[in-house]
Amino acid sequence: MKQITLRYLILPDGRVEERVEGVQGQACRALTERVEACLGSLQRQVATAEGFQAVSTGVIQAQPQHQPRLG
Amino acid sequence: MSHFSTIKTELRDRQALLAAIGDLGHTASEGERPVRGYRGQVVTADLAIAQDNGADIGFRWSEASGCYELVTDLDLWQQPQPLERFLARLTQRYALRTILAATAQEGFQVTEQSDRLDGAIELVVTRWSD
Repeated sequence: MKQITLRYLILPDGRVEERVEGVQGQACRALTERVEACLGSLQRQVATAEGFQAVSTGVIQAQPQHQPRLG
Repeated sequence: MSHFSTIKTELRDRQALLAAIGDLGHTASEGERPVRGYRGQVVTADLAIAQDNGADIGFRWSEASGCYELVTDLDLWQQPQPLERFLARLTQRYALRTILAATAQEGFQVTEQSDRLDGAIELVVTRWSD
């Protein structure tokens, strides 16, 4: 038995960041296609063989309007 | 291998939209009804939220885009927050409702759900597989 984890970050403007963990190959896509079909249009997808952190940082930097204001 | 996706949410599912409207403290009535839209033009909406001044906030299904579109007369907007903010909050709740329903159907259970200080909602669902 293996645990599959889906992590979602639903941003204040309604955009969704989705991260899938613990699924091999094509099963990974099939699993989330139904959720994505109900939700809307896929803007960006990255395979994350090396883990989530690097990818996540990249996306957040690309959307600076959601960074908390400083000062 | 796993993957990471960014999805632009569209209001496609009627039940999730009704639930999201409820989350914002409104009740939508179902069934076709005329709603005043841009420059007072009357269009037929499929769902509507009543406002005290009679200028309903309607949602009309668009075959072309495959999603619901908000229809209202902005001159008669009575909500405490501007339209853009209202639609953003509605879309966020819609996304949450859609994900909860779709993942439950796939056998996932919610293990974490929290509201972040920046206004985002974090959700983690898990399931066991062979």
